[in-house]
Formats: sequence, structure tokens, C-alpha cells
Amino acid sequence: MIDFHTHPVLVREMVEKYRELQGVIREVFFIGNLLQPLETFHLQMDVAGIEKAVLLPIDCSTAKGCQIFSNEQIAELCQMSERFIGFASVDPHKPDALQGLERAVRELGLRGLKLSPPTQEFYPNDSQLAYPLYEKASELAIPILFHAGMSWEPQAKAKYGQPLHLEDVASDFPNLKIVIAHFAWPWVVEAAMLALKYPNVYIDTSCLYFDNPADFLAYVLKEQIPISLIERSLRHKIVFGSNYPRVEIKNMAEAIRRLGLTKGCLELIFRDNALRLLGEVSV
Amino acid sequence: MKIILQKIEIQSRKGKELIDLTPQVERVVEESGVKEGLVNVLTMHTSSGIIVTEGLPCLEMDVLNHLDKLAPDQGNYYHNRYLEIDGRLGFNAGAHLRSIIGGIQVSFPIEGGHIVRGSRQRIYFAEYDGPLARTCCIQILGQ
Repeated sequence: MIDFHTHPVLVREMVEKYRELQGVIREVFFIGNLLQPLETFHLQMDVAGIEKAVLLPIDCSTAKGCQIFSNEQIAELCQMSERFIGFASVDPHKPDALQGLERAVRELGLRGLKLSPPTQEFYPNDSQLAYPLYEKASELAIPILFHAGMSWEPQAKAKYGQPLHLEDVASDFPNLKIVIAHFAWPWVVEAAMLALKYPNVYIDTSCLYFDNPADFLAYVLKEQIPISLIERSLRHKIVFGSNYPRVEIKNMAEAIRRLGLTKGCLELIFRDNALRLLGEVSV
Repeated sequence: MKIILQKIEIQSRKGKELIDLTPQVERVVEESGVKEGLVNVLTMHTSSGIIVTEGLPCLEMDVLNHLDKLAPDQGNYYHNRYLEIDGRLGFNAGAHLRSIIGGIQVSFPIEGGHIVRGSRQRIYFAEYDGPLARTCCIQILGQ
């Protein structure tokens, strides 16, 4: 069981060691500094029945003047726990982004790339700016997880997160595995369309913007789209993501389990699809 | 009169559980040197509590189950929304309500340097929204 979408922003050992993270987490990522020991992260996973979690940083050096965890810090966390799968982030605006990504994967052992266009302020289909990164990610055979849809960050505009911008990327890089985060809410139908059409497009479930996880996910996956679309057509394209610590892992996992999906479909969502994205099982 | 405040961290390991604090409270009282007085135990979190009950696993389950019935996790709560102050979703109204119902603090007399409590009474930290690292205050007043 894998949680494909977590942020280590409240891990006390890291935030107390790297003091600059405190302001970044509060002002840019916009979450209260209720720091918890690393043990709490593991216990949150245990309670939810999750074995491993993907850790996501954001390099927004140009747009926001900071990194919400650096690649080195993510690698350090992965050294502290074999239950973590570290992703890299690089700033597409920086001239050394390609070298940074290559080093993160080949030297630090990170397994994917996180991009947050609303935080980093770029359109994902900006071919001049971003396409070289996609070529590098394809060459490295790593997935890219794109923030899509609404962001709670105050300075992150949704215009950069519209999932239709990703159609060019999916079409132009058929060998690049793309994960649309947060079900691209509120553009859920558009995200579903892309995952339905493009073999290389996946969606993560880390979507909660009001109500509680059970009610919100039931609304999104039973009213915005029919649940049969997940069960029949997208069961190989959805990965479980919680967006912890904005939401507790246990609550998101329970909400997914309560949707009425079959056991086989849940196994794909909670494990098999993530393993395929990470290259641990063949397509 | 002495006034001593000690904060202790408790790592809860489940979503909901009762953690017996009695030995820790007794130790703090004994180390304080206070012979006659009062000890207050207080949780610093609004989704947890401090309660007193008999130290039996069956009762621990009954207490948690009963509080769950009175204030279930799933409910038509106004708190089910995004909280700007935290940058997180606040859908744990049930935990907050259980904290109110069960209470957040207890007091016991101190006599002869020891807590005066019934032979069956145990002091529990009640986790309603874990697992989390939590902080409790133990305050001793006396001489």
C-alpha cells in the first residue's frame, strides 16, 4: 500500500534542523507549524494501512524565492526511513534545472519529479521552458507528478493548474508517465478525460477542498463523474494520494475504501498502479 | 507555597486510545517534594482529553465507544471545512466534542508526598484524533 502524495513539511527533526523551512512552510506552503516527530508520520501510515509514502518537495526558487524542501533534504529523509520514496523538484526557470534533476535521480536516488505550476508560475505546456525537463524525465524513466487544480497556497494561481495544459505534454511525450494530482479539482471531468484518452496519464486521489474526506470524495467520484468510470475504465490509472499533512492519511484512505469500489480495484489504486508508475512492475 | 509546572510529551499511536498517565503523574508529584497540596493534569489540545476511570482494557474500550456514540466522527458538522489558520481541513469536530464531553483536566489532592486517589482510579490521557505527539501539563501546588 502506497500513498503517492505526501509532504514532509511538519517533520520536526527536519524543520528544527533547517530553520529556514519554518517561514517557507508557513508563508509559502501555507500550513500551520504544528510540528510532529517523524514517528508520527510513520504511525499515521500504520493507522491507515499504508506501507510507503512518496515525499514531494517544491523548488520555487524563482517564483517564491525558496524551496519547500530541497532534493537533498528529501534524500536525507529517505535515509532516515526506508518507508519513504523521495521525489525531486527542480525550478523550470533555472538554467541548471536539467543538471539538478539528473543529479537528484542518479546521485540522490530520487524516484520521480514533482512540479507545481501554480507555485512555480509556469504553464506546463510552455515548450521552451518546460519541454527540456520532460525530455530529461523521459530519458531518466521517472514519472512527473503535476499539481493540478486549486491550490491553498495564497500566491498560487489556478490558471497554471488547469489540467488541459497537460494534454500537450501527454501527447508530445507519450513515454513520459504523468500524474495529475488532486484529481485536478474542480476540473475533475477534464482530468478524467485525459486519463481516459492518454495511456501515460494517471490521477491521484489527494483531493479535499471542503466537507470531510468521505463526503467530498463521494461527491467528486460519484457525482462529478460516475464511480463506474473509475471501476470500469480508470482502475489502472488512479493512485491513492492523501496530501498529508493537509489531511490525515487515515481519513483519506478510509474515504476511498468507502466508495464501493471492488477489492481488485482498490488494490490497483492503493498499490499496483503506484508500483507501475515507479517502474517496479512492468506495464 | 510551591507552584511547579511540568510539561510532558505523549506519543499516541492510534486514532483513538486511552494512555495511562498515572505513573508519570505520581513520579512528578514525588519528585516535586510537595507533601501537602494539589496536582492538576491538563491536556493542551482540544481534540484530546484527560479522564479518570478504572484501569481495565474493557472499560477503556467502553469509554471510547460511548464517547464515539455521543460525538461520532461522521456528522453534519460546520467544522467540516478548510481552516485558514491551519492551512488544513478541519473535519474533526467529533474529536473536539468528545474532548468537551470527557473533559480536559483532573485534580487530585496530595498528602504525605503522594497522590490521594481511589485504589481503582487511573489518570488517562484520552486521544481522540491520533496518532499525534501531544503535550500535557502537570501542575503541582502546595508545600
